[in-house]
Amino acid sequence: ETNKPVEPAQPTAGMQALKSARFLQVRSELVNYPEGIKSPNPALNQAGKSKGRQYDKDFLLQFQEVFKEKPSTDWDNKVKETVGDSSDSARPQSAR
Amino acid sequence: TTDSSRGADTDDTPVTVFHDPENFNVKHPLMNPWTLWFTKPPSGKGDNWAELLKEVISFDSVEEFWGIYNNITPTSDLALKSDYHLFKKGVRPEWEDPQNKHGGKWAFQFKEKKSINIDALWLHVMLAAIGETLEDDNDGEVMGVVVNVRKGFYRIGLWTRTVGKPVPGGGDGNNAGGKGRSLEQGKEVLYRIGKRFKEALGLKENEMVEFSGHTDSAHAGSTRAKAKFTV
Repeated sequence: ETNKPVEPAQPTAGMQALKSARFLQVRSELVNYPEGIKSPNPALNQAGKSKGRQYDKDFLLQFQEVFKEKPSTDWDNKVKETVGDSSDSARPQSAR
Repeated sequence: TTDSSRGADTDDTPVTVFHDPENFNVKHPLMNPWTLWFTKPPSGKGDNWAELLKEVISFDSVEEFWGIYNNITPTSDLALKSDYHLFKKGVRPEWEDPQNKHGGKWAFQFKEKKSINIDALWLHVMLAAIGETLEDDNDGEVMGVVVNVRKGFYRIGLWTRTVGKPVPGGGDGNNAGGKGRSLEQGKEVLYRIGKRFKEALGLKENEMVEFSGHTDSAHAGSTRAKAKFTV
């Protein structure tokens, strides 16, 4: 049935970057974000008691179109096993 | 000596995903690691709920969250009786979990399924959770968020560790479930969280989110529901 040669999928550059990247020290490290990119809301992270890991919605939404890498090469299978195919689940209204 | 102790050598210069999505060297840490869970709709063959509840993945950075979100079935495409749960790692999204069993939830039902954008609403609630803007640092209440896909509605909930009262083993401090947090303070914390949850959902002032204890809802069928509060 499987006539395609089964080669282990290679992780993409973005996947590898995510894996090897270190955690930014949000409070102590100054990042020069590219022009047009907002920094995390400084007010949220200045409180002193905060660990500097609070991010407001506007900051977080900036990543939406920038990072689209799957978490792993076998991700599609994993989604199939857990969430399942939305296409093969019984949906009323769409009787075939 | 030179000023090399500040780690300002070139190799260490932060390159974010915004600078180079294929070759970044820093990622944005979350305050807590989170786990995404999914409840499959029952097949109708008597399967029990525990078997339908599946752990999908855990993550601890902003970048990883988006990689997952951008590659998973959107809520609007899920079958009826499905749920997504996003909970702090180590907490099962069930009220029987030791960290949930004395808790409760804020929830809102969207009955006009076609007139709302459930994907955006659920995204905004998840962002408020992982961005840690739903509670203050020492509140310690937020356990997770959940979206239920049902025939007549979508429901989004936010689970809290307590119902604003001390819990067994909660200690003496001013922490969630601790004896050092007065009932008044406990309720205040929950109200503040409820307001921020309402804000994250973009609800109008007159659209009330409702709080209920898990044990109240677990027995709701058999006994009169306990007093609830709304915000």
